[in-house]
Amino acid sequence: MKDKIRQTEAKALSDIKAVAGQREGLESLRIKLLGRKGEISELFKGLSAVAPEDKAEVGKLLNELKNSVTITIEEALGALSTKPSGAKNRIDVTLPGTPSRLGSSHPITQTIDRISEIFIGLGFRVVEGPEIETERYNFEALNIPLEHPSRDAFDTFYLESLGGKHLLRSHTSPVQARFMEKNKPPFSIIVPGKVYRPDATDASHSFMFHQVEGLCVGKDIHFSDLKGCLETFAKEMFGSSTRMRLRPSFFPFTEPSAEVDISCIICGGASGEKRCSVCGGKGWLEILGAGMVNPKVFEKVGYDPQKITGFAFGMGVERIAMLKYGINDIRMFYENDERFLRQF
Amino acid sequence: MRISYNWLKEYVDLKESAEALSETLMSAGLPTESIENIGADKVLEVEVTANRPDWLSYIGVAREVAAITGRKLKMPPVKKSEARSQRSEIKVKIEDKALCQKYTARIIRNVKVGDSPAWLKTRIEAMGLRPVNNIVDITNFCLFETGEPMHAFDLDKISGGEVLIRKAKKGEKITAIDGVERTLEDSMLIIADSSKPIAIAGIMGGFSTEVNLSTKNILLEAAYFEPISIRRTSRKLALSSDSSYRFERRVDISNVSYSSDRATGLICQIASGEASGLIDIGQKEAKKKPVVLRYSKLDSVLGHKIPSVKAKKILTDLGLKLKASSKDKISLETPGFRHDLKEEIDLIEEVARVYGYSKIPSTIPLIVAQEERISSDMAVLKKIRAAFTGLGFDEIITYSLLSKKFIGSAALPAEETVSVANPLSIEQEAMRPSLMPGMLGAVLWNINRRSRDLKLFEIGHVYGKSGSDFTERQYLGACVTGEESNWAGGSRNLSFFDLKGAVEAFISSLGIKDVSFANAADRRFSDASCASIELAGEAIGVIGEVDANILKNFDIKSPVYACEICLDKIGPYVSTKKKFETLPKYPSVSRDISIVADKDTPNRNIMAVIRASAGTVLKEVNLVDKYSGKQIPDGKISLTYRIEYQNPSKTLEEKEVLEVHTKVLSALLSELGAKLR
Repeated sequence: MKDKIRQTEAKALSDIKAVAGQREGLESLRIKLLGRKGEISELFKGLSAVAPEDKAEVGKLLNELKNSVTITIEEALGALSTKPSGAKNRIDVTLPGTPSRLGSSHPITQTIDRISEIFIGLGFRVVEGPEIETERYNFEALNIPLEHPSRDAFDTFYLESLGGKHLLRSHTSPVQARFMEKNKPPFSIIVPGKVYRPDATDASHSFMFHQVEGLCVGKDIHFSDLKGCLETFAKEMFGSSTRMRLRPSFFPFTEPSAEVDISCIICGGASGEKRCSVCGGKGWLEILGAGMVNPKVFEKVGYDPQKITGFAFGMGVERIAMLKYGINDIRMFYENDERFLRQF
Repeated sequence: MRISYNWLKEYVDLKESAEALSETLMSAGLPTESIENIGADKVLEVEVTANRPDWLSYIGVAREVAAITGRKLKMPPVKKSEARSQRSEIKVKIEDKALCQKYTARIIRNVKVGDSPAWLKTRIEAMGLRPVNNIVDITNFCLFETGEPMHAFDLDKISGGEVLIRKAKKGEKITAIDGVERTLEDSMLIIADSSKPIAIAGIMGGFSTEVNLSTKNILLEAAYFEPISIRRTSRKLALSSDSSYRFERRVDISNVSYSSDRATGLICQIASGEASGLIDIGQKEAKKKPVVLRYSKLDSVLGHKIPSVKAKKILTDLGLKLKASSKDKISLETPGFRHDLKEEIDLIEEVARVYGYSKIPSTIPLIVAQEERISSDMAVLKKIRAAFTGLGFDEIITYSLLSKKFIGSAALPAEETVSVANPLSIEQEAMRPSLMPGMLGAVLWNINRRSRDLKLFEIGHVYGKSGSDFTERQYLGACVTGEESNWAGGSRNLSFFDLKGAVEAFISSLGIKDVSFANAADRRFSDASCASIELAGEAIGVIGEVDANILKNFDIKSPVYACEICLDKIGPYVSTKKKFETLPKYPSVSRDISIVADKDTPNRNIMAVIRASAGTVLKEVNLVDKYSGKQIPDGKISLTYRIEYQNPSKTLEEKEVLEVHTKVLSALLSELGAKLR
């Protein structure tokens, strides 16, 4: 009897294993083994014929057999039931998700944020200033004499007079003087904001645009520091392979002054690539103006230029955004066409 | 300024191509805009900055090339003028010595006015000018060659035998060689004979004394005029010329006589004139103070050690004269053509420029830590932008300058706006008093491009007047319009409440709790849906459905809901400090209550009754359903509120919940006359 039980168990377990993946096979095995007339029930019936001294042991073995077969079949069935029962109730996973669109901040805002982040990383602080300005801050404090040809580069909108003479700032540089009047060095600031110039509007000119101004002032600030900061900026903004060059130039409020170019972000400045439409085959793109703060600017705010040095720079945000995103018409920034805005 | 490659070669050897030359000039600070092929010549259009008028001449540019390449400058040889002979037949007098510090005149007799020789015509044409006659062409040639503008008068048309350099009399008139008669003001410097103005000094000669084919004798003028005076007059008359361009940038006073000699030589040679001596009057040149350069300052400004020998050589090559030299510093006299060199920093720039910016290393400055990297105002703007974009709004940026008509079409008082004194067009004549017009403009633009649903916001300044001052405040504007549709939820029109929800969300993101909305009237919004937005009783903005007439003005056909909020007013309420509150230990119980109330019962009143009657166990109350329809009588509305009860110190028992809920219900019935639904 004991042998028979063992054989039955071995056979049952191997049969179950053989049909483990098939529900029908498992069901018929259950009936064959555990049904009222199944093999195991038949074995139980034979218990009465076992000698009384063996009855307890054989009974225990039979129960173990029944349990192990039952559990094994249940487990096999359980494993089957966790899989989908069929393709009938399957959802169409290609249907669109419930619409929940994020809005976009304006590409100009995004560009200002990116520029700010880079300079914040270098230790700069972001400050702002008014758009309605006086000649004093927009010109005189920046060493731009009112009646001088150097002012020609700064065509300016004037406002109706309410007694004084007010204008719309033509660059963000007035904030330099405003900040320096109220703060002592050392400091490093950047100033994003709107500026205005009476330029006829076309694909590359707008009477309103944005600038970011930078100013770093302290006891030991050098031209080499200006180069280092701007190089970091250029590489972070336009990619680590970007090269930068400084060309001597003139701004009344800085000296030495420089125009800053980066290697063309399209053709990479590959020499001889005459067809590049972005740099016109020049290989370089002008992106900002910079220089060491002119000692006269320091004198006007009461700093001692023998003790204090600093650098300043200013860049057009639209220009940077147009280069970065490949936008070829500045007017698109102010049309606010959703199809444009949603690309950023 | 146009620079002909072939012409420039006259003054300095050029071994390099025009393209290579333009690179050299660019690295010295004189960039080329374009290079034009003219026959066998190439003409560079160079951009001369305001500090370098010496580059407005061929000799000036050649001098720079010579200095930076170590080549020799070849000055055109001139026959030095004979001693002055004021005793000649013309009397010259400077009446205004402040505006004219030097005036030279020379009589050249028996000139043969006619066509210029071919070589001269080529030069004049390379500058983009049309040759006129040999005398005019020679003065123009010399202007470009030496940088000194000169003028030739027809001597026989100067009346009274005298030339006066004086201010014009008010109302005096002159017809210049452009044929236009201009009325002069008494601030303007002119050249006059005994009876009339014969030139607007430094700007343009007069028609009556113009040199033409019948001219026999000429008076050649070369002078130094005060830049500011030339600039003012040129601006007032809206008249500029190659001559005024140079005078207002300051010519080299020590170059005046040389230039006159050079032009005289050419006139005698080409037009076979006979020159008399130079009448040369005016002030003696003031001696320039030497400029000192300390090598230590040079190194500290640049952050790089430049050998002192190198610095000294760069400066002397540029034409500065060494006056004194020691281990630590040098003292130099600057040449007349470089009046931009006055201070030590000017010399530092010269050294850096010629040494090469590219040879100065890159370093990162030691920046001292600052209190705040981003001001709290800007942090607030960042949060507002994050809230709105998170809610599906797109940020727009519209023009701050608009036409008054456009501003008026948004029912804003255009006459009170800030006017621009010098707009280029009426589109820029006024500063926006509100973000609304620009926003509606953007709505129209997108509707015309078949946009179905729009959610837009803008952050920007609006401008106004207050007494004798202008005001400039930071505003937020937002609007929604159109129909939102999707396959899962069907379609629905965006409403007042979509916008209100967004406003509530952004305000709450700033840690502000007590925002409220109250019925309000505003010309820009419909009377039916317009509210003022209030913080602690202070109105900070307005929200509503844009008035139908305004929409008609803008040709917008679907309703637009808009709001405008003064962010400067929100500032004081923003709370960035956050403090953790212990999570409740005991569960809350939620019960709905459905009532039928008068249609015009404000939600705020119902909420107030619920809050007051529920007392301390009330945790939260929210409107979850609003219905009017078949089962609801006319004039009534069905409202369902979900009320959450909680006791922070124990688990609420069913009995207690029932008790307070019943109390709330009876308060609603008795105080508002509502009915249980």
